[in-house]
Amino acid sequence: MQWDRRAFIKLAVGGVLGVHASPLVWKLMDDSTIWTQNWSWVPVPEDGEVAFANTVSPQTGNAVQTRLVLGRVDGTRAIRVEGNPDHPLGKGGVVPEDSSALQLLYNDDIRVKTPLMRDKATGRIVPLSWPEALDLLSGNLAELVKKGKPEGIMALGHDPDSTTSQLLMSLMAALGSPNVAFTPDARETLALAGLATMGQTDLGFDLANADFVVSFGTPLLENFGNPVATRKAFASWRAYPKNSGYLAQIEPRASVTASQADLWLACNPGTEGALAMAMCAIMIQEGLYDQQAVGAAFGFEDEGDFPGFKSYVLKNYPREQVAAMAGVPLSKLLKLTLDFAKAKRAVAVCGPGPSGGPGRMYDFMAVLALNALKGNIGKPGGVLVQGELPLKPLGEASLATKVPPLVNPALGLDQNNPHAMAEAALTGKPYGINTLLLVGGNFMYNGPSAGTMQKLARQTPFVVAITPFLDESAAVADLVLPSTHWLEGWGDSVSPFGSPVASYGLHLPLIKAVPEAKDAGEILLSVAARLGGKPAKALPYKNVEEALAVRSEALGDFEKLAEQSYWVQEKPNYGAIQFNTPSGKFEFFSLGLFKLLSGRAGNPTALAQMVAGMGVSGGLEAAFLPHWEPPAAADDLGTGMPLLLQAVPSLRTTWGGDAITPYMVKVLPDTMLADKDKLVVEMNPATAHELHLYEGDMVRVDSTAGSLIAKVHLFEGASPGMVFAPVGLGHQAFGFQVADKGMNFNNAAKVTSDPMSGLPIWELTAVSVEKV
Amino acid sequence: MVIDLDKCTGCGACSVACMSENNVGVLHDETDKIRSITWLRVYQIDNGKSFPDTEVAFIPRPCMHCQGGKAGTPGQAFFQEDPLLDSEAHPPCVSVCPATATDYDEETGIVSQIPTRCIGCRYCVAACPYHARYFNWYDVPWPKGTPRALSPFVSPRMRGVVEKCTFCYQRYQRARNKALVDGSEVGEMDYQTACTEACPSGAITFGQLQNPEHKVHKLISSEHTFRLLEKLHTDPKVYYMSKREWVRKMADNYVTRHKKLAQAAAGGGH
Repeated sequence: MQWDRRAFIKLAVGGVLGVHASPLVWKLMDDSTIWTQNWSWVPVPEDGEVAFANTVSPQTGNAVQTRLVLGRVDGTRAIRVEGNPDHPLGKGGVVPEDSSALQLLYNDDIRVKTPLMRDKATGRIVPLSWPEALDLLSGNLAELVKKGKPEGIMALGHDPDSTTSQLLMSLMAALGSPNVAFTPDARETLALAGLATMGQTDLGFDLANADFVVSFGTPLLENFGNPVATRKAFASWRAYPKNSGYLAQIEPRASVTASQADLWLACNPGTEGALAMAMCAIMIQEGLYDQQAVGAAFGFEDEGDFPGFKSYVLKNYPREQVAAMAGVPLSKLLKLTLDFAKAKRAVAVCGPGPSGGPGRMYDFMAVLALNALKGNIGKPGGVLVQGELPLKPLGEASLATKVPPLVNPALGLDQNNPHAMAEAALTGKPYGINTLLLVGGNFMYNGPSAGTMQKLARQTPFVVAITPFLDESAAVADLVLPSTHWLEGWGDSVSPFGSPVASYGLHLPLIKAVPEAKDAGEILLSVAARLGGKPAKALPYKNVEEALAVRSEALGDFEKLAEQSYWVQEKPNYGAIQFNTPSGKFEFFSLGLFKLLSGRAGNPTALAQMVAGMGVSGGLEAAFLPHWEPPAAADDLGTGMPLLLQAVPSLRTTWGGDAITPYMVKVLPDTMLADKDKLVVEMNPATAHELHLYEGDMVRVDSTAGSLIAKVHLFEGASPGMVFAPVGLGHQAFGFQVADKGMNFNNAAKVTSDPMSGLPIWELTAVSVEKV
Repeated sequence: MVIDLDKCTGCGACSVACMSENNVGVLHDETDKIRSITWLRVYQIDNGKSFPDTEVAFIPRPCMHCQGGKAGTPGQAFFQEDPLLDSEAHPPCVSVCPATATDYDEETGIVSQIPTRCIGCRYCVAACPYHARYFNWYDVPWPKGTPRALSPFVSPRMRGVVEKCTFCYQRYQRARNKALVDGSEVGEMDYQTACTEACPSGAITFGQLQNPEHKVHKLISSEHTFRLLEKLHTDPKVYYMSKREWVRKMADNYVTRHKKLAQAAAGGGH
C-alpha cells in the first residue's frame, strides 16, 4: 500500500471513530472525575467513639470540656473545645480563644518538640536531649550563685497566682534573686485599692444581681474578668419585654460596651476617674449617699489633721468644671448620678484598660469610694469580698534578699513592674543581668513594652524560654524548653478579675500532641533538683501534679477535683464586711496607706518627697484620698505628637499574653484587619479631615516608643483627636495563618508608671500620624 | 433560630465554634472576604450618627434556611409560590441548583448542602440574597498536624464546591438516631447547633418554630422580632430581636420606596 495523503486521512479518521466507538474515552472521563475528587490532600478524619473531659482554660478562667474521638488507628484526639454547661459561672458558654485552642495545640509547625539550643558561634539551632538542656540551665544558674551574683538572674512569668508562678517565685527566692516579675494585671490594682480603702484584697463586682451598672472605661463586654460570666450577667439585664438592668459606659469610643449600654457618656481620654469623683461630689451635694454606710466609715468628714473626703471632693471636683474638662454634657452626668443614687442595686465598676493594662489605682479608689457612698458594699448587686480560696502556699515566696531589686521600691507600692525592671537592667543601674528566664506570657510580644524587652533579650548573655510554641520569646532565646499546652499538662488558675466569688480551676493532661513537652512547673522542679541545696529544699515536689495536690488539699479529694476540674465558692459573701483597715472601717482617707508610707519616710517632709517621687501630682493632701491624676500621655501632646493612641480590645483578639488563633484571625472584621493583612486604625472623620486623610489612606502612627503602619478607617464613633488601633495583632510567629497579620500595638504604646501603685500602664500614648 | 441582637457582643464565639464543628479551613489571606469562608459571619453595622451619638450593633448571619414561596405570600414578590411544584418551599438557592446538591427538607425545614454532588457552577451563590453560600476557590492549606483536630462527623470539602451552614445537620442526625434507639422524640435540647451552645451571652435560641413547647415559638411572636430583607419574601427561618429601632430598620435594608411598593403590591403585606 502506498502511503499518501488519502491513506493518512483514512487512518486518522478511522482511528478517531474507532477510539470513540470503544469505551476508552468515556472510561477515562469517568476516571478523571473520580480522581479529581479523590484528592489525597483533602483530609479524611478518622471516626470513633466520642467522650468528654473537663478542664479549665487558664487563658480565660472559663470551664470548658473537650470532645474527644477515640480512634482505633490514630488513637485519642481532641476535636473540639466547648463550654462546660455544669459550671455555675460559665454555664456552657465559650469564647473564641478557647474554642479554637486546638488549632495551635496540633500545629506541628509552631510547637517546640524538643529542647533547642542556639549555637553562639554559628547562630544555628541545635536540638538537645532533656538531660543536656537541664544541665545547661542549672549549670548557668549554679555558676551565678557561686559567683555571688544571683541577682543577675531575672525571671518573667505570666499569672502570679498560678502554681507554675508560685514555683518560679520559690526557685528565685531560693537562688537569692529578687528580680522576678509577671504580666501586670488589674487584679493587682484592685487589690491595692481594696487594701487602701477596705483592708481587703479580693474584691469582686456582683454584676449578675445588679440592676444599674456604671463602668468607668473598662471594656466590660470586650474582655473583662471571666468574659463568659460577664456576658451571662449582661444578658440577664436584657430581658423581654423590658430590660431588667441599666448599663452606663464612660469612655471615649463607641465600643461594644458603649453601644450596648443604655447610656454612653463619651468623655475625653483618661478622664473616667475625674467623672467618678464628680459623681461622688454630686451625691454628697445632693445628700443622696447612704448616710448609714458613710456614717460608719472613716475619713469622710475632716478628722484632726486629716482632710475629709467630703470637703476635698466638694472643693476640687465641682460638677461644672469636671464636666467641661471631661467634655461631657453636665445634664447627662447629673442624670446618670441621680439614677445611680436612686437605683436599688447599683454598682460602679472599674477594671483593666482597653490595652489590658492593670488600670490606675486612684481611679479604682474613686470607684470604690463611689460604691461606698452608694452603700452597696457587701450587698447583693454591689461590691463584694470574695470568700477565701483555701490554697496552701507552696513555699517561701518572700523575696527579702541581700541585694536590692532592680525596681526601686520607693517608686510604688507594687514592685511587679517588668518594664521598669527591664529598663534598669538595660542601663545597668544598679546592675545588669546575666540570665533571663521567660516562663510564659510571651514578653517579647506582649505589653508592657515589647520593644524594651526585645532589647534586653538581645543584650542578655543567656536567655531561656520555657514555652509550648516557637513564639516571639523562643525566637530570642538561647535555650528553648518545650512546655506543655494547657490541654496537655498540669496547671491551675485562680479567680478571674472582678469575680464576686472565689474560684479555682485545674487543667490536666487530656491529650498529648508533643510527647517531649514537660509542664513548665516540672521543668522548674527538675532544675531545682539538679541544683540541690536550698533550691531543692524549697521545691521538694516530684511533679506538678503533686504540687497541685498539696496546694489544693483543703478543696477535698484531689482526684475528684481533677475530674471536675473546678471549684467555685457556693454563695457570694453578702452581709457585713470585715474591714481590715487600721480604723476597722471603710476608709475614705486611707489610714493604712498613710501609716505605711509615714513609717517608711520617717518625717512629713520626707513623706511629701516620697509621695511626689511616686508620681502623685496632687501632693500630700490628695495622696491618701481617692482622687484623679491626669494621664501622663497628656503631657506629651504638645511635643509634635498631637493625637492620643488607644487600644481597641476584642474577644476576636487577645491581650497578648496568649496567642491569637487562625480562626480568630479569620473572623476579624475589615475594621481591624483589611486589604491583605494590613492593620486598620480608626479615626474620627473630623480629625482625619484636619490631617487631610481619607478612608483607606495608609499612614504611619509614630510615638516615642515605636510606630505602626496602618490603613485609616473613618469611624464616627471614635473620639476626635484620637487614633484607635486593635491590640493583639502583628505576631511574628505562630505559622502562616497568624504571623504578619497587622502590626503589634505594643510596639507603639508608651509605658509609664501609675502614680502610687507603681505598676506599668500603657493605655494612652501621644502620637503623630503621617500619610505614607 | 432566634438571635437577640441586644445580647450580642460581637465576640465571634458563634462563628469560631461553627468553624471548629464543621471543619472549615483557614486560607493564607483571610482579609479577602469574598473568598474567605465563614458559614456564620458576624456583620457590624452602625447607626451612621456622628460622635457622640454613634452606636454599633452586630448581626450574626448563618444560612437563613429560607422556605420561600410560602402560601399566602404576595404575587409580586421574587420568591412566590410556584404553582408548578408540589412543594410549598421555594428557597432562592434550591430552585437554581442544576445538580440537586442543595435541597429543602420538608420535615425539618433545613436547606441542605451536599458538597460531593456540587458541580461548582455557583448559581446558588449568586441567587442567595444573604451571601450565606461560599465557594471553595482554593484547597485548604491545613498546617502540618492540624487535621488531627478535624471532626469525623463532617467531611472536609475539596476545591471547587459550594458550602454553607447546615444548622449542624450532623447533630440532628445524631439526635434522631438516639431518639430512634430510645423510642423517644427529638427533644428541644437534644438538638442544638454549635453556635447556640457556644454563645457566651446566650443570645441565640434554637428550636422548632412551629412547636408551641419550644422557646423560639414564643420569642418570634414578640413585637421586637424581625427577619433580614423581609421584603424579598424569602421567609427565612432565622429571626432576630432588637429593642433598638434603628437596628430593625437597617436589617431590612430599609428603603421607604421599596416598602411602599411592596405594600402597594401586597395590599398590606408584612
